[in-house]
This record gives sequence, structure tokens and C-alpha cells, in this order.
Amino acid sequence: MKNILIRIRLLVFACLLTGCDISVLDPQSKTADNQAFLISFSFALMMIVLIIVFLLMTRFVWKYRETEHNKNTIPKDIKGNKKLELTWTILPILLLTVLAVPTIAVTYNQSATTPKATTQDDAIHIDVTAQQFFWTFTYGNGKESTNELVIPENKSIVFHLKSTDVIHSFWIPSLGGKTDVLPEKELVYKIDNPKKGTYDGKCAEFCGVNHTKMRFTARVVSEETYQKWLTK
Amino acid sequence: MTIPFFGKSIFVPSDIIAAWILSIVLGAILFIYVMNKRKWPLIWEYMRTTNHRKIGTMYILFGVIFFLRAGTDALLIRLQLAQPHAAFWVFQQEKYNELFTTHGTMMIFFVAMPLLIGLMNVAVPLQIGARDLAFPFLNAVSFWLFLAGAILFNMSFFFNSAPNAGWTGYAPLSTDTFTPSVGNDYFVFSLQVSGLGTIFTAINMIVTIVRHRAPGMRLTRMPLFSWATLITSFLILIAFSVLSMGLYLLMFDRMFGTGFFSGDTGNPVYWQHLFWIFGHPEVYILALPAFGIFSDIISTFSKKRIFGYPAMVLSIILIGFLGFMVWAHHMFTVGLGPMANTFFAITTMLIAVPTGIKVFNWLFTMRGGVVKITTPMLFALGFIPTFVMGGVTGVMLSVAAANFQYHDTHFVVAHFHYTIIGSTILGIFAGIYFWYPKVTGKVLDEKLGKWHFWLFIIGFHLTFLPMHVTGLQGMPRRVYTYQWGDDLFALNLTSTIGAFLMGSSMLFVGWNLYKTHKHGKKVGNDPWDGRTLEWTVQSPSQENTFEPMPIVKEMDPFWYAKVSGEKLRTTNNTRPAPISVNTILPFCIAFSLSIMSLGMIYTWYLLAVLGGASAFLLFIVRSLTDERKAYDLKEGHSNE
Ligand code: HEM
Ligand SMILES: [Cu+2]
Ligand SMILES: [Cu+2]
Repeated sequence: MKNILIRIRLLVFACLLTGCDISVLDPQSKTADNQAFLISFSFALMMIVLIIVFLLMTRFVWKYRETEHNKNTIPKDIKGNKKLELTWTILPILLLTVLAVPTIAVTYNQSATTPKATTQDDAIHIDVTAQQFFWTFTYGNGKESTNELVIPENKSIVFHLKSTDVIHSFWIPSLGGKTDVLPEKELVYKIDNPKKGTYDGKCAEFCGVNHTKMRFTARVVSEETYQKWLTK
Repeated sequence: MTIPFFGKSIFVPSDIIAAWILSIVLGAILFIYVMNKRKWPLIWEYMRTTNHRKIGTMYILFGVIFFLRAGTDALLIRLQLAQPHAAFWVFQQEKYNELFTTHGTMMIFFVAMPLLIGLMNVAVPLQIGARDLAFPFLNAVSFWLFLAGAILFNMSFFFNSAPNAGWTGYAPLSTDTFTPSVGNDYFVFSLQVSGLGTIFTAINMIVTIVRHRAPGMRLTRMPLFSWATLITSFLILIAFSVLSMGLYLLMFDRMFGTGFFSGDTGNPVYWQHLFWIFGHPEVYILALPAFGIFSDIISTFSKKRIFGYPAMVLSIILIGFLGFMVWAHHMFTVGLGPMANTFFAITTMLIAVPTGIKVFNWLFTMRGGVVKITTPMLFALGFIPTFVMGGVTGVMLSVAAANFQYHDTHFVVAHFHYTIIGSTILGIFAGIYFWYPKVTGKVLDEKLGKWHFWLFIIGFHLTFLPMHVTGLQGMPRRVYTYQWGDDLFALNLTSTIGAFLMGSSMLFVGWNLYKTHKHGKKVGNDPWDGRTLEWTVQSPSQENTFEPMPIVKEMDPFWYAKVSGEKLRTTNNTRPAPISVNTILPFCIAFSLSIMSLGMIYTWYLLAVLGGASAFLLFIVRSLTDERKAYDLKEGHSNE
């Protein structure tokens, strides 16, 4: 199943545009991987719907188009059809149920929460402060960095997000979805098992003049490099 | 450019100077044209009219004008985004923020809404056998309030203070702490003024449809566009009231130091709730009337009654109802918690079911029919696949955890343009081509209409299909540029080319209007071989329609009468019809309220009090006039 989905993911998007790398569909963490799975899964299900509609429409328009032949005929009136109508009520419900199951599972797991709810011990906690128009990251030992986030690979990273002015949104497409950064209220978002690499991070909530430029780099490094960097 | 102004010199960006010059030139040309052709009496007549067709025509006229304005914004957006690190004209940073804010706000409130309401005005009374809307005077007030709001909104740009917090106006960015200039006050007041007009229209439509149907036109026989209008009006009544409250609170935060949406006492998320409790129903307010238009058009040009009429009505109602239970799907990332996220994900998915029912019923209406591909039908055929594509990305967006990735990217921009343009804008075009003879007496040229369609639809998909991918590549919305390294160039360039293709299609609309009015022939009552009552009255419809009043025995009464070769039975015994008058009061009321708004925006409170007092005085004058008296005397009627 998973394999097929990955293939769909690659096929559809890659042949649509060879050469582009689509960061969201090339996940580099467990968190982003689950999200990419949901995206491909829902995309596959929805393609079924789309194809059925396209086929039916093409067929009906072609077959019943006005020609010299039928120009003056008055077609038979059909008020409806219970069986057909039930079919296209029940089948979509089934389809959506199939989609709802993984949706609920992952959503329950990944939704941003308030600080109390996180109880994982071995996680790395990082304070993220957003301010018009830059990011400050504060690590466990008090070290601070601006517009550069450094985290160790294969760990659970818990971000404590807080804004000092307007609403921003914290987003590293390759590592996971976004979470809003609110003033007055701390939100917590977890990214599991990031892989080594350097990724783009962005502010995704419009926050004023230089929203466009509110970007940062996320470097995922090995545990040792991380420890060394922390004490530097 | 710097301009001396009362001894000071102020900086005015060149786009604003260009806009001033362009407006003055166009204004002068228009003035000369009106002078030469002696059109003043016509303008004076329309300024005082309360007739539904004329008011509908004005809604459509101004809707189209604002469409050109907001469309120009769209093209400027696309030029700025055409390539990485672009610096097109002045449209970076603050200017870009103003650009997408005016584009979005105008498209929703001053383009899509008035065009739909215009079509409702033109078609609904004729479809149900009403001689006018229930409250013609109120209808005129609605129109002038819409226009006042729209002009107010546009003025902000000319004074170099366009709103800049997005059409969603999220707090605390939209509060005076972060956007102190008057731009967002313009946003608040113009939406407040025009929103009031919209609420009045909703009341008017509900009462008209409930009270003024032709004898025998039961709700179960009513055309689907009228049904959609009825349900939409209920949605407007609730949703626009919520918007109004939200804007009211925002006004207090901005002007009088309260803290509803910021600080210790308030919370910016409250604004998001209020806005989306309005905002999500709003998208159905835009979509449902379009569904109605397409239902009537597809049935007409398939020569068949609509497939599954009861299901069609039920699904409109269901969509309207569910539309109020999904607003937080715009807020999956604000930390409402797993419970809320799941709930709103599921309710959102549910809406797909009644929507799907509608799609299949449209398809099966064509099955077994004789499908005549006229321009309105072509738009309907373009609508089905386009809208379904927007619908399926809608379901994908409802998957909350995946939404963390899509949210606030160009994927969302693609999604909502697929749904809004796919349904509302295509529906409006279809409706205009379809009912044009009822407005002017002429049918628009078919060949140019088809050119318009093909250019528009190809341009549309070229513009917005790539945005799904750029979104997933990590392009956030509301950014004015991107970098070479982001790998976004090719797709964005494609979008820009597509946008210009769409823009060029509007040239064919212009050409079509010119050609039709220069060379088009007058058509009879029923140019499309229609099914419903509007095709029994003259083209253009007169002020005393339905004399005598037809009696309705079934759905699509006109069609079945034609099929059986009989005439519709009629009667002279009808309910008293609304009385049309000529009055300048509605115009004056709207004018007073815009003076009041200007006073508030610039905190010239004396002006505000003057405007408010004048509006209040006009209410009193209106309350003391009773046009029925004059009418009874003149016609010798005795009322009830
Ligand atoms: C005519 C072709 C159109 C083009 C090329 C176009 C293009 C765009 C683009 C590129 C954006 C994103 C701007 C950004 O996030 O940086 C946008 C935003 C938007 N558009 Fe359009 N658009 C078009 C028509 C419409 C129509 C017909 C409507 C609605 C009736 C509409 C409603 C909106 C809204 C509500 C926004 C969001 C504005 C905001 O973020 O505050 N657009 N448009
Ligand atoms: Cu931002
Ligand atoms: Cu919504």
C-alpha cells in the first residue's frame, strides 16, 4: 500500500514537472512523512472521484450533444432515480470514512498543544521567539541563535513557540507542517526524527511589511556536532 | 514622486499618480460622452429607480467595473511574482501587501457579491412571478449602500492609504498598534456600509420569495436559482451580522483603545473565530447562487427537467446548514487542540457529500437529453470539472494534519480560486449570457462568447494549476518574491502567462458588448427555449410584468405549456404587488452614511455627526412617506 502511494506521489508530481523538488512530498522527518502520506493518500482517493466525474461528463456531453438528427426531438423526462441517487450518496460517505480514519489518527498525534500536555522526557526542548521580522531560538543551556536553527538528528524536538508582537507561523516544509506563533499564548509543536540536512524555514502567517523576508535555516546535524555547537 | 501640498511636500508613489491620471482622463471622456448623447435624464432616472431589473443592471454594471479594477490588481500581483527577486514597478513590501488586500477584498465584496445580487435582482422576481421585490425602496437603499461602500474602499487607494492586512484582517496586525494608518479603518467602514446593504437585500429576497410567488408556484415547484437565493439569503442574514459585529469590535480596538483582540483582556484568536464564522458561510453565499444558475442552465440546454429535484433542494439546504459548522478548518494551525481539529476535519469532509450529489445530478440531467452547447451552457460545462477539482482539493485540505502543510501556501490560493472562479465567476458569466436578453432585449454574440469562454478557462487552469505545486514546494501566500534557489521560477512564470490569457478574454467581452449593441437584433420573449416564468415576459422585462398573472400547475410551467401546445392559464386576482416609486432618498441615505464613515475614518467627528444626523433625518422622512396613498388615488385602487 505504502509503496503504491509513494509511487503515485513520485509519478504524478514528477512527471508533471521533471526537475522540481517538492519539499513537502520529500519528507525528511517522521512528522513530515506522516503528513506526506496523508497528502498522497487523500490525493489518490480524490483522483478516483475526479476521474469518474471527468469520464461521465465527457461521455454524456459527447453522446447526447445536439446534432442535426435529434435537434427537434423532445427527450423523455426523468424525474430522478432512487437507486442511482443512493449510490452517489453512500459511496462518497464510504470513501470519506476511509479517509477519516488516518486523518483522525495523525491529527490526534500531531496537533499543536499547550505546554502542559507534553510529557516526553528524552525530547529536546527549544524556545522559538518570533518577532517582526526574525526568529530567535533559545536552547536548553541558554544559548541563543538568530535565524538559524540547529537540531540533532533522530530525536524528538519540542518547539515552544511564542511571539512578541503579531501572529507568525513556524514552518519547515521538509520537516513538518506549520504552527502559528501567537502573542500572549505559548503553543507547543513536536517534530520527530529529523534527518541530517539543511532545510529552509519560513514564516507562513502574514505578519507585515517584511513577512516575505522572515526566513530561517534549519540545520539538522549529528548528536556530537549538536553538543559541540551548543557549547561553542 | 514628491508633490508640494499646502507648503508641505508629500511623497506619492507613481502607481497612484498613474491611477489619478487614468481616472481623470476616463472620467472626462465619460462626461463628454454623456453630454453629447444627452444621457443625463437616463442617469437621473436610474439614480431614482426602485425597479428590480434596473437595480440589478446597476449592480452588474458596477460589479463588472470593480472586476476590472480587482483584475488589474491580480495582473500586477502576477507581474511581481513572475520571476525570482523581481522588482516590478513599486509593488514590493507594503505596496504588495496593499495589492493583495485590495484584490481579495474587492473580489469578494465588490465583485462576486454585487454580481450575484444583481443577477438575483434581475431573475428571481421574474422566475417566481413577482412584479418586483417585496420592498423596492429598501432594495434601492441596498444598492446605494453597496456602491457607497465600494467607492469608499477605492478612495483609500487614491489617497495612498489602502488597507494592508489582507482581506482577512487578522488581529493584532490589523489593530492600531501595528497598522496605525487609516487604511484599515477604510477596510472596516467600507465593509460595514456595504455589508448593511447586503443584509437588507437578504431580508428583501426572503420576504419576496415567501410572499410574492405566483399562484400555484409552491416551494416544491420553484426554480433552483430562486431556491438557492432563498437559502443564500438566510446565510447572509446570519453571516454578515457576525462580520458586522466583528468589524464593530475591531473599530473599537482601532479607534477607542479597547482590547478585544489583543493585550491581556482580549485574544487575537477571537477575531479569527468571528471572521471565519462569517467567512466560511460566505464562500457558500458565493457558491450556492452559482449552483442555482447552473441548475437552471443545464436543465434548459439539455431540454430536460433537472434530475432529482428534491435532492437538489435538500442538498442546498444541507450545504447551507453544514456551512456554519466548519469555520475552524481555517484555523487548524492556531492550536485549538486535537479534539477541535478532528471535529472540524470531519464536518468539513461531510460537506463533500451534498456537493457530490449535486454534481452527479447535473451530469445525469444531461444524460438522455439533447445537449445544446450555447455560451451559457459552455460555461456550465466548464464549471463542472473546474469546480470538482477545487472540491477535491477542499477535501484534501480538510485532512487536518496534512493541512499543517498546505495552510497559508499557494496550494490554498489555488484551491480557493478553483472554487470561487470555478463556481461563482463562471456562474456569473453564464448567468449574464443567459439573462442578458431579459435585461437589454438582445442576445450576446455567441461566437465572441465562446472565444471569451475558451480563453478564460485555458488561462484559468494555466494560472492556478501550477500553484498547487508551488505551494507544496514551500511557497507561502502573501509573499512578494522568492529566491532562485527556491526552484519556483518556471511555474510562477506559467501562472503569470495564464493570468494574462484570462485578462485578454475580457477584451472579447468588451468587443461582444459593442458588437451586440451595434448590430444585434432584438429578440422575443423566449430566445433560449426556456422553461421558467421569466421567459414568458417581454425582453427586456417591463415594469408591469405578469399582467395578467400566470397560474402555475407544475415545475418548469412554461416548458410544459409549450410542450403540450397550450397557453399558461392566467388570473387577474392577485396579491397586491409592491409599488414602484421614483425617489432620490436611497441615494441620499447612502451618501450621508459615507460622509459619516469618512468623518469617522479621519476622526473629523463633526463631519461624522453631520453625516449621521443627516442619515437619521432621512430615515424619519422615509418613515413618514407612504407611497401607497398617492398610488391608490391615482389608480383608484383600494388596498386590502
Ligand atoms: C482574474 C484572475 C485572478 C488572478 C490571476 C488572481 C491571482 C491571485 C493571486 C496570485 C493571489 C495570491 C496573492 C498572494 O498571496 O500573494 C490572489 C489572492 C486572492 N484572490 Fe485572486 N486572482 C484572480 C481572481 C480572483 C477572483 C475572481 C476572486 C474572488 C472572487 C479572487 C479572490 C482572491 C482572494 C480572496 C485572495 C486572498 C487575498 C489575501 O490573501 O488577502 N481572486 N489572487
Ligand atoms: Cu510572517
Ligand atoms: Cu471554509
